[in-house]
Amino acid sequence: MDLLVYGIINSITLSLVSLGFTLVYSISRVPNFAHGALYVAAGYLTWLFLNEFLGIPYLLAILLGVIITSLVGAAIYQFILVRIRGMEISEIIATYAIGLAILEGLRWGGLRGGTFVLPAFFPGSVNILGASVDYQRLIIVGAGVLTFIILYLFTRFTKVGLAFRGIAQDERAAMMLGINSDMTAVLSLAIGSALAGLAAVLLLPLGNIVVEGGYNVLVFAVAVCVIGGLGSWAGVIVASFIIGFAQILTEHFISAHYQMVVALLAIILTLLIKPSGIFGKQKELEERV
Amino acid sequence: MRKLVCIIIALFAMGFFVPGSVSAADPIVIGAPLSTAFLYGWDAERGIKLAAEEINAAGGVTVGTVKRPFKVEVIDTRDLEPGVPVSEALLGLEKLILEKKADFIVGGPVRSEAALAAMDLLSKYKKVSILTTGVLTPAYHKKVADNYAKYKYCFRNTSHVGVMMPEFVTLLEDMRKSYGFKTAAIMVQDVAHARAGGEAMEKALKAKGWTVMAPKIYPTGTTDYSVGLSDAGKNGAQILFLWMDMPESTILLKQWADMKLKCIPIGFVNAAEQPGFMKASGGKGEYLIVNLVNGGNAPARITPWTMEFVDAYKKRWGLEPEGYGTSSSYMAVYQLKDAIEKAGSIDSEKVITALENQDLMGVYGRMRFDKTSHQIIPSLDPKEGAVTGIIQWQHGKRVQIFPPKVAEGKIILPPWMK
Repeated sequence: MDLLVYGIINSITLSLVSLGFTLVYSISRVPNFAHGALYVAAGYLTWLFLNEFLGIPYLLAILLGVIITSLVGAAIYQFILVRIRGMEISEIIATYAIGLAILEGLRWGGLRGGTFVLPAFFPGSVNILGASVDYQRLIIVGAGVLTFIILYLFTRFTKVGLAFRGIAQDERAAMMLGINSDMTAVLSLAIGSALAGLAAVLLLPLGNIVVEGGYNVLVFAVAVCVIGGLGSWAGVIVASFIIGFAQILTEHFISAHYQMVVALLAIILTLLIKPSGIFGKQKELEERV
Repeated sequence: MRKLVCIIIALFAMGFFVPGSVSAADPIVIGAPLSTAFLYGWDAERGIKLAAEEINAAGGVTVGTVKRPFKVEVIDTRDLEPGVPVSEALLGLEKLILEKKADFIVGGPVRSEAALAAMDLLSKYKKVSILTTGVLTPAYHKKVADNYAKYKYCFRNTSHVGVMMPEFVTLLEDMRKSYGFKTAAIMVQDVAHARAGGEAMEKALKAKGWTVMAPKIYPTGTTDYSVGLSDAGKNGAQILFLWMDMPESTILLKQWADMKLKCIPIGFVNAAEQPGFMKASGGKGEYLIVNLVNGGNAPARITPWTMEFVDAYKKRWGLEPEGYGTSSSYMAVYQLKDAIEKAGSIDSEKVITALENQDLMGVYGRMRFDKTSHQIIPSLDPKEGAVTGIIQWQHGKRVQIFPPKVAEGKIILPPWMK
């Protein structure tokens, strides 16, 4: 039973990490390779507000960290990506370069070593079906599920959310109906970056804030999105569960050593069997044409 | 005209027109190739700078009849960063030698592959080097022993895996006698030195009659160790042997503490070396036993010099010596000073001879190099050789618990193990 518990937790953790990346791609078609860097930046900002500006409560530090990360995301589109929109290779190079600049900038600014940590919301652990689970991971599971529900409602029952879906389905048709494509893309980057920030403040209290964490987050976000189908929300959930459980089972029955191999192997298999990913319908149509 | 002649004579007297002349204040340049974004780099840099400042404040190094100061030139080799090729470290080292005119090399390169490759460069430029941090592979000193004529410029004043593993086994055997432990689980990082460490420990413990679970190897960056820890608990492990240099190992220790597993973590855990680790782990690193490779990387009374160094480091950098690479890098500068003074020159051949004949009571014991391999001679007794620094986190502090001759406290088991 403990494998089931750990598998669910690992899967929801992966989906939380990948959500922002998928949201940005599904709406703006920009593969945001700065996603991992924004994740680390949000954690470090929160740490700075909590430790350097004494007196700021943890919740306020989190809010500020997430909001600033969101604004950075919006600025990335507004000042850089808008000039190269539609040039896919340039978008990849630009976002990756921005990510590198952020991560190396943080390192240069003092983010070195393993002593930067965010406190857990509730310390301690509980036994669930024979598996010891710390409260922080339970909060991650709850927050992950809640985030999906909120995003589902947001994209179906709000004007901005419907504009997002309109742009995602057919950008030209949406523009003819008066939806501002660039403004929607700015918002998608802002919300996607905020989701990276949210994942950071939830997950980083488990360990510590390190620059290298940004690269790992990016690898897993890309793996989940490629397998699930770029831009597909349902795909994110399914792919997260596939990779999440595959990793846990691999660790238990084969070796933890192959955890990363499993994720990369899943990408290769997906690209060989169904290049558009499990739920990548739009890409699938292009492939048929 | 007479005035001009006087000026020219005066300039000659000052040595201005003598190529390669050395004025009284000409510094001896120490080149330090270090991966400065990582603990083993920045703490080595601090150790080297502290020693150089102390020596300069006391008048410098006596070379023949002249007092010369040390000047430290640090270059970031980035060799501990993922994906950075070995060539980057070699370029950095060459820059130190050719552009910064380093007379000696102290510190790194830090990664084994880079340090082994750098030996040829040191040989090519005939630069004496004292390796003080990172590099735990026995291949380094074996290479010197196998081809002394070529690699005689390379010295290492820090320990290596070949010494660390038997020390770990001795410690674990002591614990078996004291507490009746007989089962161990091994969790290591997926990097060459850690995998080798895990395999060696598995073999060594099995040979001593322990029941050992197959090592679990985790990719760098792993953030969840629940399954491995759970398996260790189910198999009745009493020792959790770790070998990891990734910061995420803090997560492992937090999970171990939350699960209250009936085993005690012991090993080489980079994240747990620094004084700030206890805060970083939220207090959950308590009871962890860590190998700091050399004594003096945490407060201890190994020799009279140990606490003097600890206090000086605290005064200069605002915190205790941070971990592996600190005391050895500090010590290397003093070893170099001693050798240069005995050689009466900075000539490489003369300094090599002086280092080979050196016998100095240092921060972590008696400092002597093996004459054929240029490896520091280890011992469990500081009067005989360089001693290790195995500590346990007790009440939020690092307490030296091994070797017994310099132990400051006894091992404390977590309350849930009793």
